Amino acid sequence: MGSYWSLPLIVLAVILQSSVIPQIRIFGGEPDLLFLMLLSWSINGRIEQNVTWAFVGGITQDLLSAAPAGTSVVGLVLIVFGIDQLKQQVYRIGFMLVLGLVIAGTVLQKVVVMLIAGFSGFTVAPIQNFTYVILPTIAYNLVFIGPVYWLVRRIQPRNQRAM
Amino acid sequence: MNRGSGFSRGWRSNRMAFLIVCLLIAGGVIAASRTGLLAPVEDLLATPLNAVSGVFHRLALTVNDNLTRFSDVQTLQNRIGELETALALYQSELVELREINSDYQRLTDLLNYTTTVTNQETITANVIAVDQNSALRTITIDRGTRDGIAISMPVVTKQGLVGRVIRVSANAARIMLVNETSSSISARLQSNRVEGSVRGTFSGNLEMDMIPLDSQVREGDLVITSGLGGNFPPDLVIGQVTSVSLSSDALNRVAQVHSLVDFDTLEFVLVVTNFQPVDLSVFDATTP
Repeated sequence: MGSYWSLPLIVLAVILQSSVIPQIRIFGGEPDLLFLMLLSWSINGRIEQNVTWAFVGGITQDLLSAAPAGTSVVGLVLIVFGIDQLKQQVYRIGFMLVLGLVIAGTVLQKVVVMLIAGFSGFTVAPIQNFTYVILPTIAYNLVFIGPVYWLVRRIQPRNQRAM
Repeated sequence: MNRGSGFSRGWRSNRMAFLIVCLLIAGGVIAASRTGLLAPVEDLLATPLNAVSGVFHRLALTVNDNLTRFSDVQTLQNRIGELETALALYQSELVELREINSDYQRLTDLLNYTTTVTNQETITANVIAVDQNSALRTITIDRGTRDGIAISMPVVTKQGLVGRVIRVSANAARIMLVNETSSSISARLQSNRVEGSVRGTFSGNLEMDMIPLDSQVREGDLVITSGLGGNFPPDLVIGQVTSVSLSSDALNRVAQVHSLVDFDTLEFVLVVTNFQPVDLSVFDATTP
């Protein structure tokens, strides 16, 4: 990734996700820090970097989960490629588009994780999952995308200069 | 240099192939993880993560606890009033229970009988992480195989049943909480021994279903493990009945159960180490 900041940031996001973030859960929803950081990075980063971050972050996240390692990676990789395709279609990804990406990405990530968890033997109830997990998570992610995007934008140019 | 750039451009231009390769690699990792091939690597990588996560978890709980303490003064005053009323009721019950207890002790001595609950051997463990995936209700503790923890061991607190061990590494273990939707526990009502099955719900509460229609279930009834199925020892407290309704097919009754354990702020748990779960899968095989 050529970034001095990326790995510690990923690890910090994952650790906060498993320790601090559960304290502010509403129903089963909580801000998904890794997803938000990856989304923010992908908007301006190169696809190779973004995919690497999706793999490293996703697997790190799964190490602190009951789901099999790699579960989070699938959704994150799809989001990275989706944003890459979008960047080729539009001149600039503006704020409203970022909010749209947060909503679509949250749904995609949670549905993919839910499907893989279902195949791994966990009980999956799509409607309840949507109400208790996905909707509150979308609300949280919409609130948190602002500060996370701001933070990533401050770090990202430094990384690219460091390369 | 030029060749490298050309290769890079070609590779990047064929994004569909790149995506498929990435998904295949991710699928391979998932398959390897599910079959346990990656278990040693996962345990190795998770060890430092668990350690740091444990420090942050304790820190977050401490901050949360202090914030709640300051903001809940009014709530606490109301609660004190309720508790004083409850205390008066319980004091009268206590006298009665002491009488029953003394009878019980005498009978126990006579029969040289001790319950499995009093014979529990436990190990205290710190909760160091909560599941990343908020749809899965599991926690991680800082005890593993080195401390004698094994898969399927029940996990409790003084407030009642917490869950059971579903995965163990050398120095950590993952616990599936009783309110996880995949969790199902054979249970009974303490008052009238009515059997049922306690499951987790998506709202994070517990539900006891399969209760016969003709059985008496009242709010406040204590729900305990029955020991049927061999997965949990009997007589562990699961929670209290808060309401009763008919099941959707109207063939059984369903009781909403409130656990006294606050699963969001667990700091310490006890792992019951001397319980051996019974493997009933041998009876699943069809007889010739």
